[in-house]
Amino acid sequence: MNMHATPQRTLAETALIDAFGERLSLLPGDGAVMLKRDDAIEAIKSGLPTRRIESWHYTDLRRLLTSVPDFDPAAVAKAIAPIVEGSSVLPVLNGVSSAKWAAVEGVTVQRLSEKLTDGSIAPGLDSYGSDDAIGALNTAFVADGYFIDIADGAQLDKPLELQNLQAGGQTHVRLAIRVGAGANAVIVERQAGEGAALVSSVSQLLLGEGAEVTWLVVQEQPDTATHLAQFKAHLGKNSKLTLFVMNAGGKLVRQEVVVKTTGEGADFTLRGINLLAGDTHTDVTMVLDHAVPHTASTEVIRNVVTGRARGVFQGRINVHQYAQKTNAKMACNTLLLSDDGEFSTKPELEIFADDVVCGHGATVTEIDHSHLFYLMARGIDEKTARGLLVKAFVAEVIEELDDEAIVEALEARLDNWFVAHG
Amino acid sequence: MPAVQETIDRVRKIDVDQYKYGFQTEIAMDKAPKGLSEDIIRFISAKKDEPSWMLEWRLEAYRRWVTLDEPKWARVHYPKIDFQDLYYYAAPKSTPGPTSLSDVDPELLKVYEKLGIPLREQEILAGVQKTDASELEEASDNVYKSGRVAVDAVFDSVSVVTTFKKELAQAGVIFCSISEAIREHPELVKKYLGSVVPTSDNFYATLNSAVFTDGSFVFVPKGVRCPMELSTYFRMNEKNTGQFERTLIIAEEGAYVSYLEGCTAPQRDENQLHAAVVELIALDDAEIKYSTVQNWYPGDAEGKGGIYNFVTKRGDCRGHRSKISWTQVETGSAITWKYPSCILRGDDSSGEFYSIAVSNGYQQVDSGTKMIHLGRNTSSRIISKGIAAGFSQNTYRGQVSAHRKATNARNFTNCDSLLIGDQCGAHTVPYMEAKNSTAQFEHEATTSKISEDQKFYVMQRGIPEEEAIALIVNGFVKDVIQQLPMEFAVEAQKLIGISLEGSVG
Repeated sequence: MNMHATPQRTLAETALIDAFGERLSLLPGDGAVMLKRDDAIEAIKSGLPTRRIESWHYTDLRRLLTSVPDFDPAAVAKAIAPIVEGSSVLPVLNGVSSAKWAAVEGVTVQRLSEKLTDGSIAPGLDSYGSDDAIGALNTAFVADGYFIDIADGAQLDKPLELQNLQAGGQTHVRLAIRVGAGANAVIVERQAGEGAALVSSVSQLLLGEGAEVTWLVVQEQPDTATHLAQFKAHLGKNSKLTLFVMNAGGKLVRQEVVVKTTGEGADFTLRGINLLAGDTHTDVTMVLDHAVPHTASTEVIRNVVTGRARGVFQGRINVHQYAQKTNAKMACNTLLLSDDGEFSTKPELEIFADDVVCGHGATVTEIDHSHLFYLMARGIDEKTARGLLVKAFVAEVIEELDDEAIVEALEARLDNWFVAHG
Repeated sequence: MPAVQETIDRVRKIDVDQYKYGFQTEIAMDKAPKGLSEDIIRFISAKKDEPSWMLEWRLEAYRRWVTLDEPKWARVHYPKIDFQDLYYYAAPKSTPGPTSLSDVDPELLKVYEKLGIPLREQEILAGVQKTDASELEEASDNVYKSGRVAVDAVFDSVSVVTTFKKELAQAGVIFCSISEAIREHPELVKKYLGSVVPTSDNFYATLNSAVFTDGSFVFVPKGVRCPMELSTYFRMNEKNTGQFERTLIIAEEGAYVSYLEGCTAPQRDENQLHAAVVELIALDDAEIKYSTVQNWYPGDAEGKGGIYNFVTKRGDCRGHRSKISWTQVETGSAITWKYPSCILRGDDSSGEFYSIAVSNGYQQVDSGTKMIHLGRNTSSRIISKGIAAGFSQNTYRGQVSAHRKATNARNFTNCDSLLIGDQCGAHTVPYMEAKNSTAQFEHEATTSKISEDQKFYVMQRGIPEEEAIALIVNGFVKDVIQQLPMEFAVEAQKLIGISLEGSVG
């Protein structure tokens, strides 16, 4: 049961360690950054997380990550159109940021490679915990991405779309964004590509006082790619973040959401849709810290599981001792549509303050037969009726976003998936 | 933030005095030397006059145990336990296998009297001397009317007395200590012991398998509805002893049994270890109802002393349409690590778990359940109410899983936590795993404090604050209290009151 043996390194672990040796001379960074990289690779050397590590209980990365592709610097990633027409696009193609971009008022953009070279990003490369394997992997290998500063009071009228497009091999990208006090922005994070890649992507967001941001993660990797992503945010006083995560692809996907309310009056909303098909594994893990009094959060995750797909949602809400008057609600609803599919969920509450209202709910079920009957009684065939119900189940979450252009764009992505997966 | 200082003051007032079972009794004890080794296990086995297969079973468990590490995943913190610094066997000297109450050390009977367990009275009422069959029948008729309970009393390592045995035997029910069962009914013990919690199950279960000293054995044969409530009372008295009891309950086809368990221990500065294993087996159409009121010494106001309670309880709904129901009221112990579970193996079987866990002072509770759906059309229901006060940590940890073949598995889980004071913590860690598309799982959890509105409403009707809070807390746990047998429901309600005294009123 609890017997320990020093395990032999897996092929993937060995490949990662070897790749680090080979890449080292090409990785940008000053002394401080290189020290962080060394620490990170040491963490990987001690082994990828297994199910014995609580936060990886349902995603045994050591077992699931069976192979690691080589870097392929010659590969060309195809640019794609933004989901909302007219967005300002900042692409990272095959792990390399673009040197040119169209200027947007109030927005300062820098290539992350520059920030790595001058070392100014070094403090942001720390892991958030000993089980932060994605953070470690990214810190070890990250070569590029963007550093974006949105000035105080800036009101962006068009979405800013950050595209991370892989072309096979490995890509390790970091997107760091600071949003100034009172600023307002819609940011789209696209994760896609065409190869059997290993992607690690870390997004860091700092929200200033009273800032309001809607952040959409749209992940549509091919079913050959391994996608390990992390979204980290600190929410300042009276700031508001609406995070929308849509997973509609990838072979092995883990999306971590690590959010901390650091200012009173902060408000966090998470809406997630996981569309799972084929023989894939998708894990969304959230850790939310209510660290100060008077903050609120709501999370709604909807999952559709088909084929032989395995889905995971872990959500932990920590309410710190001084975080009185916290209001936190979490719901995770799953439609399990096939007998070979699996869904595991672990909604956790860790509460150290007494004057709070916290709750979570989770359900796993199949399509409601009375709903199906209602539609079929009106002459709709079973397949169409099922399709309608499943779509309604997830679309409900999208419709909550009250920006018409975004709702339309996301519904289009949803249709895309339904067309591809019947 | 209302009444924080007030609450802290109240919590401070909680004193050792409130644990009214904290007395200890001077009884001559027969003890094995301190420490654990194969020799000690041989000693225990010899003391119990066990057959050799039992000794082998124990030794095998021990050999596995030495290779294991303590589990660390629970949210409980305590200094490392020195397993060599414990007595693994302690028995009251003057009772070499009591056959009737008259053989039992009167000191011991006094202990149980103090605990409010009326062994003697009940024995007299039951009229053990009566041998006439008609009179016996009359006696068993009375059972339903008087609500009498058969008691197996376990003092440290041994079962000192079991009441109503004859009457139960009349119905075909075997109710005795496990040591006696090993001697008298080896075929039953051999068949079922370890079949639900294998010796290799976990660190504490393996330790228990190696050194268990006593516990209860219940066998309800086919078609029998056990004529009375069965009950075991555990008392840990001796210093530095660990109590390792083992309970095995078997309900054959169509049988029904309701079993109650209660525990207390004296107040001591050092921590005492309690690592029990309970196995329930329900065959086709059988039903087992298992209720626990756990009130081991929780330690003093500074968190010194108290029982470490590491318990493995598991029920196996082996037969079709079988049902196992766990009800627990956890108010004692410095540390509680306990997950009464149901394996729903038979088709149409169902499992229930009702729990109230009250923690105060520096108590740490990590408790919950597992519902493993294996058969078709299985259902389970979990209602857990956690109340944390003082500096305590109260965790619900539960797992619900439906395997591939568990079509139409149903689960409903509700766990609510109530926080009293801002120095305590309440945590909910549910695991839900669905591998079947027809499974239907629902889980809901809430954490809150007593709302000002509720309190105002009650107080506005002229009820003082302390009583108002007690009323609201009782309302909060009502769902679970209702599941307890009458006698225990009253005791449980009182216990909750005592546990929270000073913090809620």
